[in-house]
Amino acid sequence: MSINKRNHHGVTVRRTLPSAGGEPMIWLTGGALVLCILMIIGLVSLVVYNGSRAFWPQPISRVELLDGSTFLGIRVDHEQGTEESTARSLYQVGNRDIGQESFRWVDDSEVESTSEPDDVVMLERQSWGAWFGVPERIMLREEEGAEVVLADGAEEAMAAFDEYHEQAIEKYESAEHLREKTLGEINRRIERQRVRVRGAEYAFEQKDKGSKPFPIAAWLGVVGMLGVCVGMYLMLSKRASAYEIGVPAGLRVGRFGVLLIGVSLLIAALIGSPWRGVSMDADRLGGIRADAANQERMLLVDYERVLEEIHSIEAEDAKYRFVVIEQTGGRFAPVSQTQSDEPMRMSQVVRMVPANRLGFGDKLGVYFSRWWEYLSTGPREANTEGGVYPVIVGTVLLTLMLTIFVTPLGVIAALYLREYAKQGLVTSLIRIAVNNLAGVPSIVYGVFGLGFFCYTLGQYVDTGVSKESSIEPSQWWMVYASTTAAGILGYATGVLAKPNPGKAPVAFHRWMKRCSLLVWGGVVVLVAVLIFRTPYFEGFFAVRAMDGSPTFGARGLLWASLTLALLTLPVVIVATEEAIAAVPNSMREGSYGCGASKWQTMRRVVIPGAMPGILTGAILAMARGAGEVAPLMLVGAVKLNEDLPISSSAPYLHADRSFMHLGFHIYDLGFQSPDSQAARPLVWTTILLFLSLILALNMIAIVVRARIRARMIESAI
Amino acid sequence: MNREDSQSMLNAVATARSRQPAVRYEMIEAIRNGEKTKPVVHNEIHQQEAVIDIDQFALWYSAAQAIHDVSMKIPRGAVTALIGPSGCGKSTLLRSINRMNDLVDGVRVEGEIHLNGSPIYAPSVDVIGLRKRLGMVFQKPNPFPMSIFENVVYPLRIDGERRKSVLAEACEKSLRSAAIWDEVKDRLKESALGLSGGQQQRLCIARAVVADPEVLLLDEPCSALDPVATIKIEELITEISSRYTVLIVTHNMQQAARVSDYTALMYLGRLVEYGTTGMIFQNPKLLETEHYVSGRFG
Repeated sequence: MSINKRNHHGVTVRRTLPSAGGEPMIWLTGGALVLCILMIIGLVSLVVYNGSRAFWPQPISRVELLDGSTFLGIRVDHEQGTEESTARSLYQVGNRDIGQESFRWVDDSEVESTSEPDDVVMLERQSWGAWFGVPERIMLREEEGAEVVLADGAEEAMAAFDEYHEQAIEKYESAEHLREKTLGEINRRIERQRVRVRGAEYAFEQKDKGSKPFPIAAWLGVVGMLGVCVGMYLMLSKRASAYEIGVPAGLRVGRFGVLLIGVSLLIAALIGSPWRGVSMDADRLGGIRADAANQERMLLVDYERVLEEIHSIEAEDAKYRFVVIEQTGGRFAPVSQTQSDEPMRMSQVVRMVPANRLGFGDKLGVYFSRWWEYLSTGPREANTEGGVYPVIVGTVLLTLMLTIFVTPLGVIAALYLREYAKQGLVTSLIRIAVNNLAGVPSIVYGVFGLGFFCYTLGQYVDTGVSKESSIEPSQWWMVYASTTAAGILGYATGVLAKPNPGKAPVAFHRWMKRCSLLVWGGVVVLVAVLIFRTPYFEGFFAVRAMDGSPTFGARGLLWASLTLALLTLPVVIVATEEAIAAVPNSMREGSYGCGASKWQTMRRVVIPGAMPGILTGAILAMARGAGEVAPLMLVGAVKLNEDLPISSSAPYLHADRSFMHLGFHIYDLGFQSPDSQAARPLVWTTILLFLSLILALNMIAIVVRARIRARMIESAI
Repeated sequence: MNREDSQSMLNAVATARSRQPAVRYEMIEAIRNGEKTKPVVHNEIHQQEAVIDIDQFALWYSAAQAIHDVSMKIPRGAVTALIGPSGCGKSTLLRSINRMNDLVDGVRVEGEIHLNGSPIYAPSVDVIGLRKRLGMVFQKPNPFPMSIFENVVYPLRIDGERRKSVLAEACEKSLRSAAIWDEVKDRLKESALGLSGGQQQRLCIARAVVADPEVLLLDEPCSALDPVATIKIEELITEISSRYTVLIVTHNMQQAARVSDYTALMYLGRLVEYGTTGMIFQNPKLLETEHYVSGRFG
């Protein structure tokens, strides 16, 4: 009995189930999409709303309480009353330096009245946060205590503020510039002289201990053998080219062997070069000491002179004083906490905001000037004020470096996995492992990065191999020779492991293959031994590391970007593999048919064909890495480091320095800050900035990809 | 059409055939029974100088044998067509000549193929060098994702040729000989993927001849093309056959008759009959050949 019915013409009509109707599925799938979009829009609009609002000038209230006291502040929050508690408001009242909490909850029931008077201002200051008060006068304070009033009364002081503020700031900034740039440079030079002396002393101490270059006869012997190798290689190559098609296996092994021996001899000649490690004697050491002391003396004279100049400029700056009276106790903003009887310096003011008398245009001006300060200056006051310029630089550099590291590495690995490796159990296992790597918690990468990159690899770069863990030079050279021999053996067994063309491999070939794998594995171990136990490497920054200031043996930008590169590696490998697999086999065949080798096919057909996919992988990796924070806390991101990892002095990119990072900055602002209320608006702003930065980096990458894609159509070479 | 329907149709055809005077394809039956057969090779073949000499060649894909003991000589400077029903091993044989089958896992061969007298399955043979002496055009046009110019000069590029003038000259020459120069001369810098199927295939022919190969191997070059493009390719094959030895695999009997000088019929991995195209199509020595080329069998 068929489930279908016949109609009155006797024709079978296939029935349609009620569940075949797609209507509910359209609503279900569409609804899911709308929900996702709504959540994303909600997140983005929350960030944009809060982030862009933080810098808008808010009105300043003058609050009179029932007990007769008065204060000035900005209302930042309000709580509705409930049965248990009364309605209350949170005011930002600032004036921290006279011992006041900078935020204050006030019950609405205690308030007599609030007003927004015209003459109150909010001062943003270099230190101690905001000051709310009424300006009284601007004056010049001479050293003998004489005072010259420049502007008297609130109106006059506010009108004249810009002019005198500019004068004071000019002096303040020139002093700061001298202090940071000129004094900083002199300090660095003095430090360099000290390191030079330490280096010379170290070399003198080591002169009898360290590894020595070869005796000249032995070295000449090595160079001579190197010449023989070059000659033999040329001869064998000529012999090989005589074969019209095909080169016999013996000739290939011979050629490879001579090449490997030649390279080994070249490295040996470099290690044992008689020019290596100029010896340090007492005379030279004395000379260096005297020269360094002389230079240091001259630098110290410079230092004193510049310091004096700074002091005189600062004295000029200190003359400009600004008297601003707060309303609770009628005190003015002091020059410092200990000198509360002296009014503050004009140059301490970053910005004066008379919020209640600003029109819309003026408020816009304040808004943008705050944004500009935020983007172009460094942080102040435990990061709760000021800008995030070094943070942006750190984040961008880290992201670029991780992309530069991860892309080639991932692409090369994926190429091997997809093009060279024989697909089978092992490649499947590797793929599973790579995919699982993407699920490892990022903090684990941080722990690994700290332990391996910073401490192990970094210390190796800094101090090299210590006397205790290095092996005797004679033994080391024996290992060296064995490694070369093993390399040749591995190659030879590899050649023997290939059956004749068109023939099935027999047991002999399988055994040869296993041998070859084993020997190559041994070569890797031997190379590791050669590198990590060599008596010939004493590190690049040993002197500084001994002084207790490691260069690469600590947390820094290089190790952080390598850690993130490792973390994002699976993204690149998976994307590249997919892109390579999507290149049609017919193109590979076409290329082989033209007589291209495997590598030529990969380089000229497969990689260009997969390039858009590869770049997509790089972009995804970049986005993933840019948003990562947890591992950075371990391998290099710091709360505050105003020394940017790039500078105009060599080596320009200081990959050894620690850096600031927006993700870590958000955490620091929001949860580590001593004054979390004050930092709250900045948290939102920083989140907004971070999101925009990631978006901008991605957009740039996408534009670059589109351009590469367009150019590739024209020529894939 | 489902399986049962097609089966019943085949049965109907078989019944219709059985009503004709009974024919016995002795060679075909012997091949089907797995017996060793002796192919009919016309004398004209032996009188020609061979550029490719296939000598008792057999090939296995893992356990499945695809070519059984084929011996044939491909005459120099002529067009030779390989015909036969699907799965008869003609494409495999073609791809054995430039060792494209090496790319397939588990391929095993016996016997030997000689190119100009030198064996190509000898252990020392450099496959890349071998392929450089043979041009190949595939069933589906497979231009690379690059410009038309770069596609054509690709074989020269991989040989390390960098001189602009040499490349430009070779590109024009081979595009002209592939009869596509006039169509693409103004858009050499544009992507080859924008060309039509027929143009792409002619571009692939241009790419195959740019480095002056000794033999051109064509693997059903027209099977993915429309009739107009097919005719253009056929004219092109006739045109270039004066300069190159051409070995073409085709499904299309008319095509074999039109373009080739010699034709070989294969069946289930074995050679059946091999002679001049005129003889094979008009006066074959085997009944099965006569019936195959006239469409009554196969």
